Amino acid sequence: MAKKKDKSAAKSGQKGKKSGGLSFLAILVMAVLLFMVALPTFITLGVGLLPSVLAFLFDRHHGRYLVRCVFGLNFSGVAPYVMELWRDGGQSMAMATHQLLDPMTMTIMYGAAGLGWLMYLAMPPIVANVLSLTAQRRTVELREQQRDLIRIWGDNLISEIEKGSR
Amino acid sequence: MADNAKMQPDDAQSGLEAVQDDDALEGGQEDQIAPSPEVAAPRSGGNRHVDVGSFRIFPDLRLPEFDCGPSQAFVAEGTKRDDGPIFALLANPLLPTRSELLRVLSGVKVAGQLDLLDYEIIYWPPLDRSTIICFYAKPGGSKVFTDGGKKAVIDEHDLPLAVIAPIINILTVLSDKNLAHRNLRADNLFFADEQRTTVVAGDCSSCPAGFAQPLVYEPIDRMTAEPAGRGAGALSDDLYALGITIAALGIGHTPLSKFSDKEIIDMKLARGSFQALVGHEKLPLTLIEPIRGLLCDDFEERWGLAELNNWLDGRRVKPVQSNSDRRAARAQNMGGRDYYTARGLANGVTNNWAAALAPLRDGVIEVWLRRGLNDAERSKAMSEAMRQMAWSGSDKRTAEDVLVARGIAILDPNGPVRHKTFSAMLDGLGPMLSYDVQHGRGPQAFSEVIIRDLPTFWFSRLSGFRPEIQSQQQVYKMLRYYMQQQTMGYGYERCLYALVKNQHCLSPLVENEYVIHIAQLLPALEKIATVTPHSSWPIDRHIAAFIAVRLQDDTEPQLTALQNPGDEVEFSRSIISLLALVQWRHGPDSLPHLGLWVARLMEPATKVFHSKERREKVEREIPKLAKRGNLVELYNLINDEKERRRDQDEFIAAVEEYSAADNEVFDIESSGASRMILAEQIGRQVASFASTMIALLTVSALFMMIVW
Repeated sequence: MAKKKDKSAAKSGQKGKKSGGLSFLAILVMAVLLFMVALPTFITLGVGLLPSVLAFLFDRHHGRYLVRCVFGLNFSGVAPYVMELWRDGGQSMAMATHQLLDPMTMTIMYGAAGLGWLMYLAMPPIVANVLSLTAQRRTVELREQQRDLIRIWGDNLISEIEKGSR
Repeated sequence: MADNAKMQPDDAQSGLEAVQDDDALEGGQEDQIAPSPEVAAPRSGGNRHVDVGSFRIFPDLRLPEFDCGPSQAFVAEGTKRDDGPIFALLANPLLPTRSELLRVLSGVKVAGQLDLLDYEIIYWPPLDRSTIICFYAKPGGSKVFTDGGKKAVIDEHDLPLAVIAPIINILTVLSDKNLAHRNLRADNLFFADEQRTTVVAGDCSSCPAGFAQPLVYEPIDRMTAEPAGRGAGALSDDLYALGITIAALGIGHTPLSKFSDKEIIDMKLARGSFQALVGHEKLPLTLIEPIRGLLCDDFEERWGLAELNNWLDGRRVKPVQSNSDRRAARAQNMGGRDYYTARGLANGVTNNWAAALAPLRDGVIEVWLRRGLNDAERSKAMSEAMRQMAWSGSDKRTAEDVLVARGIAILDPNGPVRHKTFSAMLDGLGPMLSYDVQHGRGPQAFSEVIIRDLPTFWFSRLSGFRPEIQSQQQVYKMLRYYMQQQTMGYGYERCLYALVKNQHCLSPLVENEYVIHIAQLLPALEKIATVTPHSSWPIDRHIAAFIAVRLQDDTEPQLTALQNPGDEVEFSRSIISLLALVQWRHGPDSLPHLGLWVARLMEPATKVFHSKERREKVEREIPKLAKRGNLVELYNLINDEKERRRDQDEFIAAVEEYSAADNEVFDIESSGASRMILAEQIGRQVASFASTMIALLTVSALFMMIVW
């Protein structure tokens, strides 16, 4: 039984690695296609999504939540400029260069990525606090329930519990 | 009944006299012999009286000529009906009376017996306690016999009709009911009329059987028992006493009265009763034949009523051998004396308890039985007893005592159970225990006899048909079990009440109230409750045992619960249950003082409920019910089975709930680190989810802006 489990775990590990490899390949293919078809967009995306690439390289944790956080907001920051490039600039290198040299653009793109990183850092303590508060509240509720029981049953209850625990 | 008794104002009573009466009573008990009857006119000088039922008794007016053993006679009169001249016989409260005889003879006229009109339990002021008093019709004539005389009171030719015929009538009536008089003696006979043509026998029920008899009146197998333990006996014992009575009336004094009890025992054992008598007394020739027949030492050979009637009718009666004890070819020495009969040797062993061990243990007596007495059966039994002693384990001293006691049983199986200084017939163990307990000797001797299972061995050795003893066998089976239990409701107290039907409850709480019947118990406790501090329970070992024996209901569950006084809830509940059971069965309906007493002590019993609310409700109800004096309601209050079960179920659920809450709190408090890990994981997931959602929303919004 244990052997079977080990085997299935190994298989799913291989599968995961394969799918990870495939997605990386798919991104690479798309990047190459983008490079060949829309170079200005490729440059805007390449420079704008640099924090996500860095996060991708450094976040080795299971689930890659840092990558997801940084990429989500980073892309939200980059997407308006890519749209502007497509709509107003007609995919021109000049437009792309102009955007990338504008400090405001870079601030928005990287600031959004920073916000994603901040969110990644801030969310666990917030959740921990919420969980602690919930636990405290539950403890108070249980203690109140026990006090009610003692009020009804008196010391008998305690002595019975103590007798049981002995 | 006792409540009916009212002491009237006294105008001539002195405290000293009351004390004197008391002392006289005590003296009688200590000596265990009947006080010598003094013929004196009733003392006068007081009209103090006690009314009970339809009788009036005058405690200051004694009638010593009607005293019977330890029972004292007083002047009495009927208040509601004309019963003729009567006298009251006050039973000694320290001795049990004979319930069967009281029941059978009360209100019944039996020719030859003094008419017992009634009996009552009465508070007797001079004793400051209650006791039984019997009301007898005064006989027409005086006492027949005054000891110390030199010539016969009744002519020997008149004896058959004047004495023997009426006595035969009483014995016939009593033996039909499997009872024996056991108080037949010359100085307990009265002339029935002034013409002195016939006699009546005096009281026989106010003290234990044979207790008041001088030793010479006791047959050879019962005479070595202590007076209180002589046993209820049978017709054959009465016939023996009749033989001595005839002899006494024939010669004018108590036979062998110049000898001590010990000398009489030795003479009877050595030569047989009849030979001992004729050796020292000059018996009238015409009476020799019935005396010989009635004094036969073998109870199966002794004359019965048929032989006596035949003799009265002048028919020839088969002669009996007066002493049928087998004599040994050689003597067996014991304590410096030679014995030729097994019964004599049994007495020798009893009198030399310590010295008798060696010859019994070493087989000397067994050899004597086999070779000297030529009795193979007894010899075999003796060797078996010796072998059992050898198997007896560690308690050597006990085994030695048991060997001696069994040795005596083998030598004299029809004699009393003897163990060290204890000596009582099998049918007299109860009164003997009662006497020992009430006279400061304690129950130790009786306890040893029962724990060592000596009665069982005695029963196994009995020879001949003795229904009066064999009927007791069933009762004795339980005694050992009772003695082995040390808790309330068992012990010697239980044995006492099981063996003596008319034994009053000896609990210090109610002893003075003379509680014989279970129905008297609660009224007595109610009376005591008004003067006793309610610091301890109204039930002690005696009362518990008394209830266990006298109440017809099964009290074993309550007694079992009493075995553990540490469990105060069950203990108090059982005590209330016992009292409530008695009230339910025998009333009275209202016992307010006892109710208050019980209510004050029943706080532990309210703990039978776990719920505080239920307890408070019970505690609120208790004073109300206590005031009503209904113990049954008090008991039901704490023993509502449905409510108790519900309380128990809810309590179990509460305990589980409390424990579950405790466990959950523990889990929460001990899961800090894991919660942080969980929080981190969830936080990251939430952050990534939010980020993804923002990205999707942004892209969607941009698309929509382009499209529109």
